[in-house]
Amino acid sequence: MSVKDLITIGIFSAIYFVINLVVMVCGGITPLIWICMPPILSILCGVVYMLLVAKVQKNGAVLIMGLITGVIYVATGQFTLVLLLTFGAACIIAEIIRKITGYNNFKGNLLGYAFFSLGMIGSPLPIWIFREDFSNQMVSQGMPADYVDTLNAVTPTWLLTAMIIATFLLAFIGGLIGKRLLKKHFEKAGMI
Amino acid sequence: MTEHSNAIRLDPRTELLLLLMANIVAFTYSAPWIEFALIAALSILLTCCGCGKTAVKWLLSFGALVGIQYIVIPILPKVLVIMFSILTVYVRKLFPCFIIGSLIIKSTPVRFLIIALSKWHIPQKIIIPLSITLRYFPAIKEEYRYINDAMKMKKVKGGLKKLECTVVPLLMSATGTADELSAAAVTRGIENPVQKTCIVDLRLHVLDYLCFVIGCLFVLAANLA
Repeated sequence: MSVKDLITIGIFSAIYFVINLVVMVCGGITPLIWICMPPILSILCGVVYMLLVAKVQKNGAVLIMGLITGVIYVATGQFTLVLLLTFGAACIIAEIIRKITGYNNFKGNLLGYAFFSLGMIGSPLPIWIFREDFSNQMVSQGMPADYVDTLNAVTPTWLLTAMIIATFLLAFIGGLIGKRLLKKHFEKAGMI
Repeated sequence: MTEHSNAIRLDPRTELLLLLMANIVAFTYSAPWIEFALIAALSILLTCCGCGKTAVKWLLSFGALVGIQYIVIPILPKVLVIMFSILTVYVRKLFPCFIIGSLIIKSTPVRFLIIALSKWHIPQKIIIPLSITLRYFPAIKEEYRYINDAMKMKKVKGGLKKLECTVVPLLMSATGTADELSAAAVTRGIENPVQKTCIVDLRLHVLDYLCFVIGCLFVLAANLA
């Protein structure tokens, strides 16, 4: 991997993280947006991912972007091991898919992106897997019981499945939007 | 980047460790007094490092949040309580991380961070993109301002249209910047495979160890109390 590739990855990670951050701040307002965050992100970030894999057609590009994003998440206080684990696993799967299908294969990249998007599921996942602990912890930290009750009421178990499927499917749409934008703007300008 | 001759300069490695510890304390904390003590300790640290103004700013906003939680929230209607609670509970918890983060950004040039990270034997493949990422955040903000102005001038309307008109130029300029930065880095010899030397003598001093010990005490206190 050349220095140029590394720098490209760095810059794209910054953009990816900023998009994440904007959605996440909105997610602070109501728990509903928080649960919708992975699907929303999978639509929004398609263009970033597609441009990155088009620019850096090499082994490890997605993994490094995921690692950097993860490190910054930890540094900004999103210290949840669940998120880091799902994020890492998603990036590794995406890398494997890219390796198998070839780096310039649009369908492969699309599938890789769908798995990459699943990584963000780790953010609201604790609601389901540690529901008891999570609710207690929130109350003891001083969140009003109403908020926690609302959160528990709007998150039955089927919603988790729905969220995963929605994230996966919307990632295809996001990837297609990304592809269209690349065609419309970047290929014409000769940037890919 | 503020440089003060009489201020202490901590090793970036210490600052990173402190950041990690602040994270741990923030997510295991049980008693408010630990949080207050941590904020106070960090403000003193910031003042000693020559970032007194920043420290005052953080203290004031922390005070405001605490004030909201204990004085304003009990008298608010329920709907507003939920919105404000997220602000006071979650944002307040992240304050230690914010404070150390601002210390790192204000007092540590990126090249120091790179030296420190390479002393931890983190591979160049991670260090280069990471330092670029950190450097690029302010650029995104600036870029966004220009794009916003341009959109206003061209009278771009509608949410989706606006989104497209923001993201595409952002990515365009990002690819341009990547080319420029890599040309600059290669010119300066970043691809030279030999072990790089540096003029800065980066070592852990007594103060670094002191900060480290105080940080450990906070982690212990948070876990025991």
